[in-house]
Amino acid sequence: MKVSHNELQGLCRKAFLGMGFEEGDAADAADMVAWMQCLDLGGLAALSRGLDYLLAETSDALPSVLYQDGDLAVLDGHGSSVLRSSSLALELGFAKARARGLAVIKIRHCHNRQLIMGYLARLAGRGMNVTAFWRNAHEPLTEQVVGFRANHSVPEIRIYTVADVPEENEPNDGITLVMANHVDLLPAMRSNYRYDLLARHEESDLLACRDRAYLEGIEVDDTLWERLKALATRMLVEATDDSRQGAGAGTHDND
Amino acid sequence: MTELRHPTIDSPALRPAATVMDLERLGSLHASRLSFVRSLVRQMARQRWQISRVRFDLDAQGYGVAIYRLQTPHGRYHGVIFSQYLDAARRSDRVIADAWDVTFGVVEGDVDEALLEQMARNVPLQEAGRQHPRVLVLSRANRSLRNFAQFVEALSAGAQPDPAWLTRVGYLYRTTAVYGNGKFGIADFMRLRDNPDFRRPFSAQMLAVYLLRHFSIDQVEHIAHCRAPEAAVPLARELSRYLGIGNSTGLGMAPFLINHPQLIQQWVYCRERALALALSQRPEEADRRRLIVLTRRAMTHLAQTLTEDAEQSARNAATVAALPAVIAWLEEMPLEADLWQQLADWSERSLSLEAQELINTLLIELYPALVDPLEDEMGAEESLELTPDMPLVRLRQLIETHFDWALAEDFTMPEARYWFWYRSVEKEEPRLGVRGVEPGADKELALAIAPLVSEAHEALCAFLADNPRALVVDFLIARPRYKAIVRRIQTMAQTPYGEIRANLWHRDMKPMHLLRTKLSFFGASRFDPKSDRWVRITLFQGAPLVEELNAEPHDLAAFDDWSFPLEPAGRQGEGRREVAGGER
Repeated sequence: MKVSHNELQGLCRKAFLGMGFEEGDAADAADMVAWMQCLDLGGLAALSRGLDYLLAETSDALPSVLYQDGDLAVLDGHGSSVLRSSSLALELGFAKARARGLAVIKIRHCHNRQLIMGYLARLAGRGMNVTAFWRNAHEPLTEQVVGFRANHSVPEIRIYTVADVPEENEPNDGITLVMANHVDLLPAMRSNYRYDLLARHEESDLLACRDRAYLEGIEVDDTLWERLKALATRMLVEATDDSRQGAGAGTHDND
Repeated sequence: MTELRHPTIDSPALRPAATVMDLERLGSLHASRLSFVRSLVRQMARQRWQISRVRFDLDAQGYGVAIYRLQTPHGRYHGVIFSQYLDAARRSDRVIADAWDVTFGVVEGDVDEALLEQMARNVPLQEAGRQHPRVLVLSRANRSLRNFAQFVEALSAGAQPDPAWLTRVGYLYRTTAVYGNGKFGIADFMRLRDNPDFRRPFSAQMLAVYLLRHFSIDQVEHIAHCRAPEAAVPLARELSRYLGIGNSTGLGMAPFLINHPQLIQQWVYCRERALALALSQRPEEADRRRLIVLTRRAMTHLAQTLTEDAEQSARNAATVAALPAVIAWLEEMPLEADLWQQLADWSERSLSLEAQELINTLLIELYPALVDPLEDEMGAEESLELTPDMPLVRLRQLIETHFDWALAEDFTMPEARYWFWYRSVEKEEPRLGVRGVEPGADKELALAIAPLVSEAHEALCAFLADNPRALVVDFLIARPRYKAIVRRIQTMAQTPYGEIRANLWHRDMKPMHLLRTKLSFFGASRFDPKSDRWVRITLFQGAPLVEELNAEPHDLAAFDDWSFPLEPAGRQGEGRREVAGGER
């Protein structure tokens, strides 16, 4: 079925509240999913893949700072979804970049990393150049680089496989971000090693996707939509005769 | 060299937020020339919008489909209206209703048979349907049964209905929801952002209501004609003009006001700038005469505003009783340069809030050239953003400066935490429950900003004691639950208005004030509360008719002069002149 952007964002926010997200996190997570879906980047599919995981998560596992100095921070995401854990880590990077010109943030142990792009868009909207890099632990090894120019609402994205897999055992469940006040850090493929480009999203393609979404609506999977609606109803209160009075309407509406 | 200009010309002083954003004052606002219905009518006339009927397939009872075309210089739109029989037992104004007398939508572009079929299947279902993304506005309305019966009866007998019927209830139909911005699959407001016709907030919704008003006249005349083809007469022009569209609304409006503080800031800021501009003008004698005329008209209008609500009746009566003194004051005072400021100062000392705000509305009315450009600034890019690198001590200062009203409340007192807001499982209808008595407080909507600010302030003061050099982001990483309220505080502290200064948990809080705030910006008149949280109002009563618009009026000022409409001369015999042309 087709839905509007506002509808998608609204339902996601209510569903996240139903899952126990704090108000601010629910709004941010909804924005992240809707932003991605609107650009045809599979926001809802990414949410769907991580939904069971999210439902099992507790809010205790919020990210903690392992190390930080003036322009560098390493955080532990404790295995939680970026929907719940990334916004303040990114804000920390933003604050450091504002102060120092450039900052590097590493979030270890997080999942649903695709969805982080929506929050990066928000930082870019506040005038920050942002680039994110992460690897997926699939065979073959794939890498993804997402770069936003300051004040641009959509990124440049490159996804590619790497032929020569290095011998090391570091788990690929982290994400590295570079933020810079004054220079853009867009992905441009230049490598001496063999790679195969899997996806290349230019800003102009993504803007066209967004325009189309506003014009034609956004396609969503009916089953997932129903699941989100069910989660959203967790925040609704059962009706009673007393509660019907709580709306304050008159007893009859004919005049 | 930069020229320094006189501050009272460029930036006259605005009233402080502590005055303006007080909930009771906001709940005393009247529609003004910046209200959305007024702006829309001006835009339609200025740009020569044309409205035509392209389909009118109604049976003798008035059931069927009607389509109206709107042509603007920039685009074409259609209002598609479905009228059906509704059993009286199912007629409810509540959002929990599932059938209505008419349902309708405004469509961008043309309506072909496929789209019409899709709309016929879905628009009558409203929330339960899946609406087309070219539908800009979705709405429904119920009849005023008594007015409808009286009008059909009179017109089919070749007579005009008694205008007093419209003074009691100013419409044939009242809407119970007017949806825009993506609801149930319709177009997002984002899509209208670059549309010169409807980029102003709620202008598409107001157009939908205006088309319904036109349809209500067409339909009632059609039914009367079908009943008595030989005898029936059309509705007299002055009565058509005096016919508005009702709206029945409850707590559903309240979340909007709290969840869109940047938009509210813009609305109030524009109105306050308009008032400040008016107050800083040096009046001519003609301005004074005009203000007296407007005051008399408003006085008669309010005297003709009937409501069963005792409190609103008393407020109307107090305003009506006060206005002769205002007129006397205006007639007696020497025409000094700061006369308007003197008037505002005197009214603040002497008059009720409703009367004060009425005077302000009328002062704004005097200066179209200064005020009307502000209507293009009523929109806002909405985004509450964090400033993570702000020193935490600075955030504390911001809270203590801009949210002192929230800190002043003692939330340990039972009366200060009496209500909670929630959404019911019944169509997500917003409701109020008594904390500790009714179930649902664990699912409370975060609409009460004051307690959130107070709690965040307490937490950050404790954090600052241990971390005096901390930044906002340091505090939030330690206490992430305050993220939403902190970014709201940081964003809203940059502007004067936007936060309604009231504790929405308080036992004595009046939800009606919230509803009236929003409705006054829409341009509502005849506030008729049905309880402390449910109100009926009228839109477009007195507004120019479609045929007057289509005639491409030359005198745009006269066309725009329809505020505070009066009952046309009929059996009661007063007010015809004002309604017919508006006094100048």
